[in-house]
Amino acid sequence: MKQLNNSGICRYLKLNISLAFLPVFFCIPVYAQDSTQAPVILGISYFLPANHVPYLQVSTRKKVGRKFEPVENIKINVYCNDQSAADLLGTVTTAENGIARLGFPSSFKNTWDSLNQFKFIAAGDSSSGHGDLNADITIKKAILVVDTTSQDGTRMVTGELKEKDGNDWKAIGSIDMKLSVKRMDGNLSVGDKDTYTSDSTGLSSAEFKRDSIPGDAKGAIILAAEVDDNDTYGNLIAEKTVNWGRAFAPPTNFFDQRALWSTRFRTPVWLLVIAYSIVIGVWGTIFYIIFQLVKIKRTGTLQKG
Amino acid sequence: METLKNLSDEQVISDLLPQKFGRRGKLWIGILLIVCAVGAFAYIKQLRKGLIVTNMGDYVSWGIYISNFVFFVAVSLVGSLITAIFRLTGISWRTPLTRVAEVIAVSNITFAALIIIVDMGRPERLYFLFTHGRIQSPILWDVIVITTYFCMSLLLLYITLLPDLKILIESKEKLGKRFSKLYRWLGGYWKGTPQQEKIRDRSITILCILIIPVAFCIHTVTSWLFATTYRPGWDSTNFGAYFVSGAFLVGAGAVAVAMYVFRKEYKLERYITDAHFDKVGKLVVLLALLYLYFNVNEYLVPAFKMRKDEQAHLSGLFTGDFAPLFWFAIMIGMIIPIIVLVFRKGRKPFPMFIVGIMVVVGAWFKRYLIVTPTLLHPFLPKYDAPARFSHYFPSWEEWAITLGSMAGALLIITFLVRVFPIISIYKTLEDKNKTTESHETAEQFGNLQVS
Repeated sequence: MKQLNNSGICRYLKLNISLAFLPVFFCIPVYAQDSTQAPVILGISYFLPANHVPYLQVSTRKKVGRKFEPVENIKINVYCNDQSAADLLGTVTTAENGIARLGFPSSFKNTWDSLNQFKFIAAGDSSSGHGDLNADITIKKAILVVDTTSQDGTRMVTGELKEKDGNDWKAIGSIDMKLSVKRMDGNLSVGDKDTYTSDSTGLSSAEFKRDSIPGDAKGAIILAAEVDDNDTYGNLIAEKTVNWGRAFAPPTNFFDQRALWSTRFRTPVWLLVIAYSIVIGVWGTIFYIIFQLVKIKRTGTLQKG
Repeated sequence: METLKNLSDEQVISDLLPQKFGRRGKLWIGILLIVCAVGAFAYIKQLRKGLIVTNMGDYVSWGIYISNFVFFVAVSLVGSLITAIFRLTGISWRTPLTRVAEVIAVSNITFAALIIIVDMGRPERLYFLFTHGRIQSPILWDVIVITTYFCMSLLLLYITLLPDLKILIESKEKLGKRFSKLYRWLGGYWKGTPQQEKIRDRSITILCILIIPVAFCIHTVTSWLFATTYRPGWDSTNFGAYFVSGAFLVGAGAVAVAMYVFRKEYKLERYITDAHFDKVGKLVVLLALLYLYFNVNEYLVPAFKMRKDEQAHLSGLFTGDFAPLFWFAIMIGMIIPIIVLVFRKGRKPFPMFIVGIMVVVGAWFKRYLIVTPTLLHPFLPKYDAPARFSHYFPSWEEWAITLGSMAGALLIITFLVRVFPIISIYKTLEDKNKTTESHETAEQFGNLQVS
């Protein structure tokens, strides 16, 4: 046996058996948190849509198996700069999707106007039973501008992120952003790339390659520049409407046509004729038979008399 | 009818008059009433809580209610087969079967209509079908054609009953007073004058001609509820003929069962003879072969192609979860009846009764297999659906309502059999007297030749 153990054949067999079982170990899902309750993860994000009113979004989720599942009904306090009652912006409760939004209260206007950088802190209510939940984000005040240029028949879309520096707005370079056209189910990039990086002057530009894209009745489409989840500036979206699309007017009488899928008032004539002919024919005969019964009854009554 | 020629008219009337139920009859009614009451309780629960009490979901949205509906519609077709087709084709031995077939048709079409309302979940919205119904929808065609067939079946039953009502009124002493008012109200005006006979005969002929296409329509439209929906197993041009042939088979099976029960309970051996069972047996074989042929078409062609999007459905039926039920339905609903009934001994009353039950049970499960496996295998992939949506087994409420509806249909048959003669007395007397006359003529002719 000793000889066998030391032999090359034995080692070869051991290796083979080990390799054979290796995929099994990979296939068995082992979850670290299976035996214990997975902790809730709190997140906070900053949003500035169309350079108008910013808002904060908090999210709560936890790992279940290999996926993160939303956790609902968790009360979160949101503060600005310091976790104190004086700096409390508001309290929100996460919805079914684990998300809650908080608009800035009007009392925050003076602080907003006076500062260019903010630290937003989200803290879970300790009574929620999920332990201490904390998250924060530091945001520099910025705006995003989307514009268009046209040179030698080439249409360009540009996006520019500007940071508040003192009382001025300063363009920022090396920022990844999406330049896209808004569609019904999502945004379509104006060019070939998904994202465009701003140059040293702060401009991101892309050639508009969606010439034949359908717009509204006048050919209007909405261009959008988006900065997603930036560590310094958060999420910013800017939009601009241009008449670069193909005018597309849905046929006004589309739903008026007589078809099998139409409403009951637009039934195809052939179906009306066939269906009602059959119904009238058959029910006419039924009423004729009932009339015959009445006749039999009348004959019987007369006979009696 | 040979066996009747020695019987007096009084004897025939006495044999065929409705009879009071004995202990077994009362027990039968009691059981049916209990099943109906449990069904009604379950339905009240469904009304209060909604269709959530069923195990139907986003995928199996038609469960045993619709299977049961298709079954009832199928059985009801027998009225047109036995009464109308046999009458128009001049089949002389039909007399003891016609009333049975008509009664089965009326009871089953009544519950076909009711079970659809049960499946709706919100019965108070039924009138929306009439106020907002679209004639483009096969659902509305079904509502129209069921109502039409119900009225025609009722008319056919009533008009053929008129001469018997006169006999029932005249037999007041034997029958007692219990139903005499009803008989007088229904047929007190029937005097049997030649003019009345003429109008009645013409009306029956018109009804028999008209009820055949309507009967074909009712089950074809029911099949179109499925075939006009793009789903595996339903996407077939064969469906109308497949449903109609299956309906005639189950109807004939139901008549065979009813013939045996009534013959045994009411001692009608002289009227429902072995020869009747033999002929109905041959009819069942023919219809089973026809239905088997359509089944082969319905399953073999798609199985030969085995399209990827239909594979799960077909494999489920042939070798998967539904295979035991599928082969059970095919075997007891078609194959075994054909094998048994091909032999003369298999067409004797008791084997016919057993085969009839097999055909009916097989037919019910066949309808379940038409509805449920298809719904569990949609063409579009199931996305983010709960695991329970991948299986369907009816809840106790669904079973209770379904069994209650079956008991209700049997209760209607039982009530009609208690009140009216299950074999037309008038037609039996007419057949008997014709036979006697033809015998007398033959004897006279024979005597003339001898002399």
